[in-house]
Amino acid sequence: MNTATQTADAAAATSPSRQRPPLRRILSNGAVIIGLVYLTLYGIYALNEPSALTVYSFSSLMNNAAPLALAAAGVTVVILSRGFDLSVAGVISLTNVLMAVHPMEGAAGGLTSLALCLVLGGAIGAINGILVSYVKLQSIASTLGVMIVCQGAALLILDAPGGYVSDWISYGLTDVALEVLPISGLILLLVACLWGLFLRTDLAVGIYAVGADENAALLSGVRVRRVRLAAYILAGALYGFAGYMLSAQTATGNPNAGEPFILLAFAAAAIGGTSFAGGQGGIVGSMIGAATLMLLQKVLFSAGVSSFYTGLFQGVILIAAILFSGMLTTISNKGRAQ
Amino acid sequence: MATGTGNREPQSFERRADERGSGGFSSETVTTLAIFGLCVLLLLASRFISPAFGSLSHLQTILILSSFLIVAGFGQGMVIMTGGLDLSIASIITLGGVACTTLGHMGSLMAIPLALVICAGVGLVSGFGVAKLRIPPFIMTMAMGVIVYSACLGYTKGSPWGSAPEAAITLMKSDLLGLPLAVYFVVAFALFGWFLQKRTSFGRRVQAVGSNARAAQLAGVRAARVTMLVYAASAASAGLVGVMLAGYADGATLRMGESYLLTSIAAVVIGGSSILGGAGTFLGTVGGAILLTTLGTIIQSLGVDEGWRTIIEGMIIVIALLLLRDQLYTKIRMMTSALPGR
Repeated sequence: MNTATQTADAAAATSPSRQRPPLRRILSNGAVIIGLVYLTLYGIYALNEPSALTVYSFSSLMNNAAPLALAAAGVTVVILSRGFDLSVAGVISLTNVLMAVHPMEGAAGGLTSLALCLVLGGAIGAINGILVSYVKLQSIASTLGVMIVCQGAALLILDAPGGYVSDWISYGLTDVALEVLPISGLILLLVACLWGLFLRTDLAVGIYAVGADENAALLSGVRVRRVRLAAYILAGALYGFAGYMLSAQTATGNPNAGEPFILLAFAAAAIGGTSFAGGQGGIVGSMIGAATLMLLQKVLFSAGVSSFYTGLFQGVILIAAILFSGMLTTISNKGRAQ
Repeated sequence: MATGTGNREPQSFERRADERGSGGFSSETVTTLAIFGLCVLLLLASRFISPAFGSLSHLQTILILSSFLIVAGFGQGMVIMTGGLDLSIASIITLGGVACTTLGHMGSLMAIPLALVICAGVGLVSGFGVAKLRIPPFIMTMAMGVIVYSACLGYTKGSPWGSAPEAAITLMKSDLLGLPLAVYFVVAFALFGWFLQKRTSFGRRVQAVGSNARAAQLAGVRAARVTMLVYAASAASAGLVGVMLAGYADGATLRMGESYLLTSIAAVVIGGSSILGGAGTFLGTVGGAILLTTLGTIIQSLGVDEGWRTIIEGMIIVIALLLLRDQLYTKIRMMTSALPGR
C-alpha cells in the first residue's frame, strides 16, 4: 500500500460518508461484520442450548467478555497509532492483585478503586508512551520490558493467587439492572459511546492520521509525539479498567491473571477489523470481537467439542475471519476506485 | 577501533555498506561488538557477587542454557528480517518436543528428522498464509500457534509420554575433549547462521524482501517463495529447540516452549535488528541471547524474591534497548569518522 492510498484511508476513516456508497461502506466496516458474526454465532448457540436466550446466560456472557473487551479496546488504540503494546498483561495483573490485596468496601470504595486502576494504568501507559514516542524505542520490545516489570511488581504485592475483592465490586458489577440489563454490558456500551464522542476530537483524528502515515501527519501539523503518548496513556487506562472488571468477575487476585490476555486481546482486535498496519479500525469492533471469542468457547462447549480442541477452532476461525474481512475490504475498495 | 592502523576501517566499511545497499553494516558491527562487550563486562562484574561466576564452567553453563534461545532466535530473527513476527514459536517448540518423544521408539535417525519435518510443515502453512493469502504475520502465526498447541494438547490428553531420542540426549548431555558437546554445537550453529545470512544468496534475498519486498520482486527475487521458506525455517529451528529441550530434560512437557516466545523476540531486538525488518544480523541475536541468559543466571543467584527478579529482567530489556539504540551508533560512527587522518 503506498502513501497516497494510506492517506486516503486516513481521510476515509475520519470522514467515511463522503466516498463510499452506503451498502459497501457498511459491509466494509469491521464492527458491522463482526457484529453479524456475533449474532450468527449467538443463533447457533441458542439452537444448541435453549437456555442461551435467558437473561442469566446473556449476563454471564457479558461478564466473561467485559475484561477482554476492554483490554482489546486498549490494544486497539495503540494499534491505530501504528504501535504494539504488550504491557496489557502486566497492567491487568497489577491492578487485579492491588484490588485483591487492598479491597475497599462500599460504593465509594469501589469508585476509588476504579479511579486508582485507571490512574495506575494511565501512568504505566505514559511510561510506554515516553519510551516509544520520545526515546524512540521499538514499541514491541520496550512494552515487553514494561510488561515484565509490571508482572514482577504484581508478584511482589501478591506472590500466589489469593485475596478477595470487595463485595460491592464483585457482586454489584456482575449484577443485572432492571431485570434485563447486565451491568457489565452497560459498562461496555458506555465505553463504546465515549469512544464515539472521542472520535470527534482532534486527538482521535491525530491518532488515525499518525497510524496511517506518520510523515504526512507531521507535515499537516499533527503533533506526532504527543499524539502517540496520548494513545499509550489512553490504552493504559483501558487496561486498568480491564483489570478492574476482571477482579469483579473472579473476585480474587492472581499475579498471573493478565497473561492470557496478550494474544486474545490482539486476536479480538484483528477479527474486529482493525488493521495492524495502523490507521484503520476502531475499538467497537475489537470489543465485539472479544465478545465473539468468548462466545465461541461457549458454543464449542455446547456443541460437545472437547475443551482440548477449543484452541484449534479458535485459530481456524481467527484465520477465516481475517480472510473474510479482507475480502470484503477488497470488494469495497474496488467499488471506491470506480 | 581507534588505533592508528584502523583509521581506514570505518571508511571502507561505509563504502561497502553503500555498495550492498544495506545501509547498516557499520552499525550492525558496532552493535554486535557492543553486546559481546556488555556480556564480558557482566561476567567480570559478576565475579564480585560470587567467585563461581566468570569461571570456565559458568561460561559453559551459560552457553548451554543460551543454546535454546540462540536456535529459537535464529528463526525468529529471519522472520523479523522479512518484516514479520513469529508468535507460533512457543507452540512449535512444544510440537517438536512432543513429536520427537512420541516417535522416540523409532530411533534418533527417524524421530528427529521427522519431528523437524512436521514442524517445518506447520511453518510452511504459516508462510503460505502470510505470503499468498496476505494475512498479517502477527495474526497468522498467532492462530497457527493456538492451533498447534491445541492439537498437541488434544493428542497427548495433557501429558506427553515417551523419552527423548538418544541423539538429543547425547547432544545436550555429553562431553567431547573436555567441553560439553552442546558448546561445540552452539558455536557451529552461530557460524552456520551467520554464513547463511551473510554469505549465501538466500540470506541476501531474505534481507532484500525485508527492506523492500516490491523492489526485491522487481529485481527477480521470488518474494512469496522466500517468505514461505523463512517461516518454514523458523518453525524447523523452533522444532529443533523442542528436540534439544527434550534431550536436556529427557522428556517433553506441554509448557516447555512458553518462556521462549517473548525472550526470542527480545534477543533479536536487543541484538540490534529492526522489528520493521530489513536490518539485523544473526551474530547480534546470538549476543542478545547470551546477554539475556547471562543476566538470567546472575539474577537467579542473587537470592531475591521472584517478584524482584522479574522486575530486574524487565528493566534489563528496557535498559539494553536504551543503550543499544540507533542514535548511539550514529554518534559512535560520527566520532570515529571525525578522527584525524581522514
